[in-house]
This record gives sequence, structure tokens and C-alpha cells, in this order.
Amino acid sequence: MRSMRKRKIKNDAENSVEMGKKMKQKKCNMNMVLYELRNINGNFMTHFFGIVFPNMMTMIFSRTIGAQVPEAARDNVIVSIMLSMSLVIPMSIMFIGYGALYSQEVEREVPLRMRLFGFHERSLLMAKIIAHMIFMTIAFAIYAVFQVFTMDIPKPAVSSVICLLVSLYLIGIILLVIAHSLANIFRKFGVTFGITMAVYFTLMMLTGMMGISTEQLPQALQKVAATLPMTYVSNDFADFWTGGSYNFMPFIQSFIFFGAVSGILLMYAQYRDRRVIK
Amino acid sequence: MLLTIKQLQVKYGKQTALQINSPISFEKGERIGVIGANGAGKTTLVKAILGLTAYEGRIVTELKPEQMAAHMQNNAYVTTMPVKRIMEMILDTKIKENKELQELIAFFEFEGCLSKRYNALSGGQKQKFTIIMIMMQKAELTFYDEVTSGLDFETRQKLMEKMVEWYRDKEESLIIVSHYYEELEQLADKILLLDQGKVVAFGRTEELFKTYCGNAIFILDNNQVNGGLTKGFRTLKSPNHLIALSCRDREEERELLSILMDNNVNFKRSNSDIEIMSINAREQFYAKHEKEKN
Repeated sequence: MRSMRKRKIKNDAENSVEMGKKMKQKKCNMNMVLYELRNINGNFMTHFFGIVFPNMMTMIFSRTIGAQVPEAARDNVIVSIMLSMSLVIPMSIMFIGYGALYSQEVEREVPLRMRLFGFHERSLLMAKIIAHMIFMTIAFAIYAVFQVFTMDIPKPAVSSVICLLVSLYLIGIILLVIAHSLANIFRKFGVTFGITMAVYFTLMMLTGMMGISTEQLPQALQKVAATLPMTYVSNDFADFWTGGSYNFMPFIQSFIFFGAVSGILLMYAQYRDRRVIK
Repeated sequence: MLLTIKQLQVKYGKQTALQINSPISFEKGERIGVIGANGAGKTTLVKAILGLTAYEGRIVTELKPEQMAAHMQNNAYVTTMPVKRIMEMILDTKIKENKELQELIAFFEFEGCLSKRYNALSGGQKQKFTIIMIMMQKAELTFYDEVTSGLDFETRQKLMEKMVEWYRDKEESLIIVSHYYEELEQLADKILLLDQGKVVAFGRTEELFKTYCGNAIFILDNNQVNGGLTKGFRTLKSPNHLIALSCRDREEERELLSILMDNNVNFKRSNSDIEIMSINAREQFYAKHEKEKN
């Protein structure tokens, strides 16, 4: 009788271990990234605003504005347009596209369902960031090929290209985190999409992507623009595209500020959604 | 001990959705059926244990939220890809390489649905999709919150048969919330009866049945003839169209049985009817409270 009981306890312990193994918290892995990539692929908005829109806008702006400037200044203007429109890629994919996709998921409680399957919020967010960065890389490649074949862009310095890409990826990550947090805070597609669209066009206007340069803005708005990294990419990067020196300090400070805003929003959203058993 | 609830209170605004004063404990391997009318606090209880809603009091358990599996009333997935891809991501496996998963998919006859998108599945298929993944998790504690709600009778029956069959030899603890008493009769060995956020009764099904219904009950149509024939037997509270008669012992049962047979009356005998037990438990609970007030 005692041996049977012992055996039962042992079996229970083995089953417990087996169950424990199955129900570990799920960490970010290749399957999750592939899943997120498939999810992005099913979102028309990300394709249109992230790939079609920047290429189309660059072509239109460079043909119209480029034709109006003197020959000597044309190269600099075209580079400036190309740089400004390159910002549309992270802003569209990581902010508008992601915000639209994720807020629909939040409204339908898909992330909650994932968490109930043992996925931690951090793992889900990490997979989404990686997948969106992969998609953004594809968009950059298409944009680069399009620029090379349709525009007469001066050959850049390698350091300038690296600097641009690092900046664009960082901006993209920060924007995705902001869109993610807004969707988790407002929980409705309509509200989140309205807010992200309003922020998107405000950012475009403040950072000189709508045809108005930052210097033409009122003083107060210029100060706001100075806190946004996109302003520096849009206005200053053309000056060292083919080489030269640049004071990166205000640009780095803007990243710290922009990153802090996204971090605070994320922490607030995660605090609201925390699961506690006490 | 798997889980103990102590002095739990959940409020939505000023309204108390759930209040559990006396401690309630769930043991490992138990199958708890949670029943009650709409607004009784069933889903609130599930959400509190899963850490999805704020509460006062304590839920003592060694389980972390991610160690519990849950089938909620609303289970949504993305519609941008076939459900096969979603399943493989959630379970972090490949269907063609996982024999256990293949068997479970076959068990639920879900093979034909794998290439469909979630929004193209029928109600029953949607439930099966979540159930398969939940079963594969093999959690120490699994919740099923109204798993068959919204399904037609036949689909409901088939799904329950599958679930009963699957869990027959398993040791996982289950908490099953349902409006359908017959489902709990098949799956649960303990019942937690809630009403208006309060615990009306909690215990082993057969013990609760004995307490509130006696040894066995006979249920027959409520009409004048049947009422006259069974006069003198103890009647229990029951739905208006039925008469429920309680028998304390075999002797009383035989006596009633002979009357019913002699008069050709159709009847149902039960020693585990959760519906009648619930109605009478609720009746006694409020009667006791009324008495205490006075």
C-alpha cells in the first residue's frame, strides 16, 4: 500500500514536471517573427504607405520642386527630398501601419489571447519589432533601387549612409513603441488610428517633410521640432551626404528625448495591462 | 493544494461583482464546475484567478498566470493567415513534425480547417481550434469559460463528448464555467454555485445533491393527475413545467416507483441532477439569509 502511494506521489511529481515544462513563459523566437511577418504581409496599409507612398512622393516632389531650382542647387535639393521621403518609410510602416494593424488586434483582444497562451508582452513586442525591421529593410532596399534607377542622386559617403540607416531604424523602433503603447492605452482602432494619423501629419509638418522647412515655422514650433530626430534627418543630413563633418549632439539629445517619451508611454501601457495574482 | 481563495472581492465601479467570504480551496486534479445565472460572477472569478482583473483579498497559489491555460468566452486571432500558421506559432512547433498534435487535430476532426483563416471557421470549428491549443499546453490548471455557448445542440453534444473522452484519464485540474447543467454532470466532480456575486454552495456534486435533494429524485411532468398521484411525497423546487420529488431512502423510492409504474407515468430518476440541486440550494441559501436578517 505504501509503495503504491509512493509510486503515485512519484507519478504526480513527474506529471507536474512535464506540465511545468510545457507551460513555460514563451520567449521571442523565429516562429513568432515569421508569424509577425505574415501578419504584416496581410496588411494593405503597411504596403501602400511604407513602399508605394514614399517612392511616389519622392518622384513627384523631385520632378516638381527639382525643376524649379537652379542647376547648381539641384543635387542638394534632390538629396534633401530623398532623405525627407526616406523618413516616410519608418513613419508609415512602424507608426501608421503598425498602429492600424495592432489596434485592430487589441480591439478584438488578440494580444490578450496570446498572453493567455503564455506569451509575455515583452516577447510579443520584441517579435513585432524584429518583423517590422525586416519589412522596413525590404522597403529601404526597394526605395534605394528606385532612387538609383529613377533619380540622379550624388554618390554618398559610406559613413553618411550608415548614419542615415541607423537613424531610420532607431526612429522606426521608437515610433513602433509609441504606436503600440497608444493602441494598448486607447484599445479602439478608430481612436488609435485617428491619433496616429494626427501625430503623423504633425510630425511631417514640424520636421520639414511637407514642403515647409523648419526655419519657416514659428519660434515655439521650431523648439518642438528640435526635440524630434526626424527634423535633423530631413533638414541637415543633405549637408554631409557626400562627406564632411556634423555636430551630432542636438540630434542625439533629440533621440534621448523621443526615446524617453516612448519608454514612459510603454511603461504606462504595461502597468495598466499587468496581470497580478496576490 | 492548487489554489485557495480568501476573502475575495471584485468591484466594477461601485457594484460588487463577486464576494467570496469563506475560504475556497481547489485541490490538484479536481474538476470544478462553476454555475450560476448571468451576472452571478462566474467569468469575474475566472478573470480574478487569471490575474486579469483587480481584486481585494487573496488568491493563494504557486501557479504563475502563464502556467494556467484558459478558453475564454471570446477567443480572437488574426485573420491575415491560415489558422495552421497561428497554431504552429502559438505551440512553437510544426504540425507535420508533432505526432501528438497531429493526433489531437485528428481527434477533433480539424484537419480540413487548417488551411482556412480564422474568420472563415464556423462557431464549432473556432471553439475546437482554441481547445486543441489549450489541450496541447497541458497546464496544471485549465479554464473553460462557456466553451459551448452559441453552438447548436448537435455541435455542443459532439464537442462535449470529445472533451469528456480527452480528459477521462488525464490529471489536469479543470475549472469549467457553463450554463448547461448536463455538461457539468459529465465533466465536473465538484460544483461551485454562484448567485449575484455570492457563493451559494460549494462541494462534491454527490454531497451537494444529498444535502439539497436527498438520496434520489424523480422528475415528472407537472399536471393535475401527476400532482394528485404523488401527494404526500416531498417535493423540491423545480422549473414550473416539472414536478421534482425527493426520496430519502430505498424504501421511499420503491413506493414512489410502484405508484408511477402502476399509473403509467413517464419519469426520470436521478441522483446527480445539478439543475434541481442548484435551484434548491439557491432557495435554501436565500431562506437562511432572510431568517438571519429577521
